[in-house]
Amino acid sequence: MTYEESLKQLEDIVRKMEAGEYSIDELAEKLTLAQQLISQCRDKLNRTDTEIKKILEKS
Amino acid sequence: MTTTTYSLYELNSLVRQTIEETMYHEYWVEAELSECRTNRGHCYMELIQKDEQGNTPIARAQARCWQNTWSLLEPYFEQATGQKLHAGLKIRLKVYPQFHEAYGFSWIVTNIDPTFTLGDMARRRQEIIRQLKEEGVFDLQKGLEMSPFCLNIAVISSQTAAGYGDFVNQLADSPYNFSTRLFPATMQGEQIEQSIISALNQIYEAYEAQEPLFDCVVIIRGGGATADLSGFDTLALAENVAQFPLPIITGIGHDRDESVLDMVSHTRVKTPTAAAQYLIENLDATMQRIDTCLDRIMLYAKGKMETEQLRLARFAERIPALFSLVKVKQDALLDTLSARLSPVVNLTIEKQRHQLQLLEQRAKALDPALLLKRGYSMTLCQGRILRHADSVKPGTEIETRLEQGTIISIVK
Repeated sequence: MTYEESLKQLEDIVRKMEAGEYSIDELAEKLTLAQQLISQCRDKLNRTDTEIKKILEKS
Repeated sequence: MTTTTYSLYELNSLVRQTIEETMYHEYWVEAELSECRTNRGHCYMELIQKDEQGNTPIARAQARCWQNTWSLLEPYFEQATGQKLHAGLKIRLKVYPQFHEAYGFSWIVTNIDPTFTLGDMARRRQEIIRQLKEEGVFDLQKGLEMSPFCLNIAVISSQTAAGYGDFVNQLADSPYNFSTRLFPATMQGEQIEQSIISALNQIYEAYEAQEPLFDCVVIIRGGGATADLSGFDTLALAENVAQFPLPIITGIGHDRDESVLDMVSHTRVKTPTAAAQYLIENLDATMQRIDTCLDRIMLYAKGKMETEQLRLARFAERIPALFSLVKVKQDALLDTLSARLSPVVNLTIEKQRHQLQLLEQRAKALDPALLLKRGYSMTLCQGRILRHADSVKPGTEIETRLEQGTIISIVK
């Protein structure tokens, strides 16, 4: 999944949660998914940052 | 009147005496040489003077130069004029008359003035040049462009001449792939004119047929000691060379004046070796031009690459800053999203909890145990609450629940 896709899914979850669209049964599951997405996105950002720095050092 | 008769010897002696007594000086005389031959070291000449139209001889005389004088005059004249005495030359001689009873009249040559001959040759050359200019052909060769890739050479030379060998060898030793073809010609004496014109005609035929393709013509003479080069100073030859469609290089080897041929040719060099050198240098110059172009291309490409590298480097410098902006923004976005999550979850849970409590309260209020406690009872039939007495038929078993215990009864 791309960063954009992850971010979109995350926003979707938060929006639905705020609108109270999830049942209690779904809530924990969606919260876990949201946390996973946040962590994925952060990882991706940090990795890209490191990569860019490495590439620029080489050239 | 008595008539004296002389013997021929007596009469000739009389002539000799008269000449010896009346013409005992030496004289300078200008004349044209109509014949010249040497025998046992002596030189025998025939001098003539033509009329103003230059056709009919108006004076003619024998001249001799004895071996002791001739052995000095011959090299002196050749060195000064670059040619041997030959028929057709205008000469100035110092002579004294001699009449021999047996051999007749002859001028005896004691000196020669080469500057007169040179002057006459120069005058003739000037005349040819004037005529060529008048015909508008004098500078034609100079207008031709020497091919920068001049590799196919038509050579006019004597086949056996050392100069021709030098020329071919020098080209072969060069780094370029020259191709030469010899058109043999006589390069000295009276044959020069016709021989070279004939060779030029052959080259022209090849040029017309475009097979093989010659880039230029080289006329070279085979070096050696001084020789008669006046054959190169003729109008017909100069006209042929001047109007030839290919550039002509002459390497005839004059040390002194330029010949007319040299003047009308595209390029004049002194020797066959110099002609080869000229051709090699022509290609060297072309290679140099190519190299210069190459250098300029390289320089341009290098410059362009450097500019692009610089541009890229500038972009590269901006990238970390740009990306960190993106990163900060995205981080903030994630933080926001993350921060929004827990209150929403808590709120939802809290809401649900509250609802549960309400429900619980309502449920509690509705608990039948409370009614039973107050003395109410409830009747069930087959596990269902009975609300209407009509809904049970007589004989049906019903169950009545009280606060304490249950009564089973039969309907009547």
